[in-house]
Amino acid sequence: MKKRSSGLMDYAGTFGALLILCIIMTIASDKFLRVNNLMNILKQTSFNALVATGMLLALITAGIDLSVGAVATFAGCVAGFLLSRGVNNALILILVMLLTGTAIGTINGLLLTRLHLPHPFVSTLGMKNVLWGASLIVTNSQMIAFSNRGVDGVLTLGSATIAGFPVSFVVVIIIYIIMHILLTRTSLGRSIYCVGGNPEATRLSGINSANVLTFCFAVSGFMAALAGLVTIGRSGICNGANAIQPYDTDAIAACIIGGASFRGGKGTMIGTMLGALIISVLRNGFTLLSVDSSWQNLVLGLVIIGAVLLDVIRGRMAANALRKAAAAIK
Amino acid sequence: MKRKVLSVIMSAMMVALLAGCSGGGNAGGAASSAAPAASSEAAGAASSEDAGGAGDAGDASYSVDVILKTLASEYWSYVKAGCDAYAEEHPNITVDVKGPASEQSYDEQQNMIETDLASGAYDAFVIAPLQGEQVATLIAGQTAPILAVDTNIVAPEVLSFVGTANEDAAKEGGLAAVAAAKEAGWEEVTAICIAGTQGDSTAQARLDGYQKGVEEAGGTFLANETQWGESNPEKAVAAMEAIMQNHPEGVAIIVCHNDDSAIAAAKAVRDSGNEAFANTIFCGFDGTKTACRAIIAGDETMSVAQEAFDMGYKAVEAAVAALNGETLDPFIDSGCSVVDSSNAQSRLDQLNVYYPE
Repeated sequence: MKKRSSGLMDYAGTFGALLILCIIMTIASDKFLRVNNLMNILKQTSFNALVATGMLLALITAGIDLSVGAVATFAGCVAGFLLSRGVNNALILILVMLLTGTAIGTINGLLLTRLHLPHPFVSTLGMKNVLWGASLIVTNSQMIAFSNRGVDGVLTLGSATIAGFPVSFVVVIIIYIIMHILLTRTSLGRSIYCVGGNPEATRLSGINSANVLTFCFAVSGFMAALAGLVTIGRSGICNGANAIQPYDTDAIAACIIGGASFRGGKGTMIGTMLGALIISVLRNGFTLLSVDSSWQNLVLGLVIIGAVLLDVIRGRMAANALRKAAAAIK
Repeated sequence: MKRKVLSVIMSAMMVALLAGCSGGGNAGGAASSAAPAASSEAAGAASSEDAGGAGDAGDASYSVDVILKTLASEYWSYVKAGCDAYAEEHPNITVDVKGPASEQSYDEQQNMIETDLASGAYDAFVIAPLQGEQVATLIAGQTAPILAVDTNIVAPEVLSFVGTANEDAAKEGGLAAVAAAKEAGWEEVTAICIAGTQGDSTAQARLDGYQKGVEEAGGTFLANETQWGESNPEKAVAAMEAIMQNHPEGVAIIVCHNDDSAIAAAKAVRDSGNEAFANTIFCGFDGTKTACRAIIAGDETMSVAQEAFDMGYKAVEAAVAALNGETLDPFIDSGCSVVDSSNAQSRLDQLNVYYPE
């Protein structure tokens, strides 16, 4: 198992980047550093933070989940389908959404572990397309509105606030704390890092990798469905056409900026949260400044490349230091 | 229809089997190139048979190929419904309506056009181009009648353009929005656009049209504050939150690329409880069923509606007319309207006839 980051100093770079970004945005727009806007940033972070939770688990296991955005959209479309068929019990709709997401995540996991598809890239890419089509089929290619349909409970998570603080972000904080404890304080968490960091050691130590991987993808599906619930609450609609929106890339970006690696065995909830906040601050600041989306994408791309580059340089420096220490002992 | 579905399924199974058997790195490429050709041939064969069998002795039988921007949206479903309605009324005319997976699937549409032009299965083509210049290159030198629908193709091969220019329709929306804003009590009428995807020609046309309409009606269009919502409701909400942050005094009009964005932006205002935006006019685009219901419920103020059903119907009608040797007008206006609380119910009823639940 690779060494996991634990000290707060490990996040100093990412946190510093977030702080500098906030200072730049504050200077650039006098509307940025206002309570209202800061609450907006938290609302805008909720969706990506939830989707990134599942993505992080997949990345830690050296996998990836490209279907997260499609799962979020499809879960909403299933609820929309039921609503259009007269099911107007909010609790039932929410449960169906969450079950749908979890079931799809489990299928993703089973495709990898029981049907032995070579890499989750394949199964989740396929699932993304399946869900895109399925979303359009269940909604008959129509947008479905949830407002004024007697299902306000479905909208609560994405729209309600407590003294101005978004409920969706409260849920995000709770989930991040639970997931942090799971990853750092439980044997299951250690198994997840093991599966991604050193599969051979995992096998020798008797950990059931298949179950661990299936669990990770099931959680990813659940989190994506929860994110779908948030976005329905914010926009009041669902539309199957959105299943192909690049939600997965923002989630991957949040994880990578936060220190996760495509090679697996790395990544933390705190880092992912900082990554998600950096993306939201960037997008929010640029939106306030009415910067073209082309520039937004360009800068976000540079931030991702920069974060990975820093990680690679840091890794090389650590390896060099180890080599020198070993040479000195000889 | 059943035969087409069966042929597509059979083709997909065959390709999957072949790809599986061949193994190695070339399997994916083989599958992706073979599938459209196989399904297209099957569709062509089916349509030729249908046309031959169903045609009256005195009526000419034609096969018309309609390639839309996508079929995966409510708006394009109405266009398809119009094309299908013409085919239903004229049993000697076979109409195949198809479209790529999304309005960003440029390559997929290009492949469809190339395959169908080369198939020899169709007598005329109706194309809604995702990228006009690209399609102009593809159809160069074709002798079969070709018509553009929804979006024009500037090419000598195109006999007629059936539709309403997005820019003209959006201009109508801009004019109506300013009138509604003045009626709602706004003295200073400012407008901001939550546009579609930057670089997309339809998004740009709607943006330009809104600006022209708003300015012609005496409003101020804040062009440098345009937000690119990319047809994503989540981004539309974020854009609206930024607009509220930047304009605590309120903005009279928010014009949007589509109804999804308008409904999402209006909900962001309701959730915020921002009184300065309580009378803001939210103008969407497409006039879908959901938009009509939202307008009736007060969740959206108005929507610009291109008459999609008529567009599809008139396009196929014109293609058949061209095959019969008639000379077409270079522009056939399919009409557009602005849907608001006064006519939303009647439009909803009409759409339910075209495209039942």
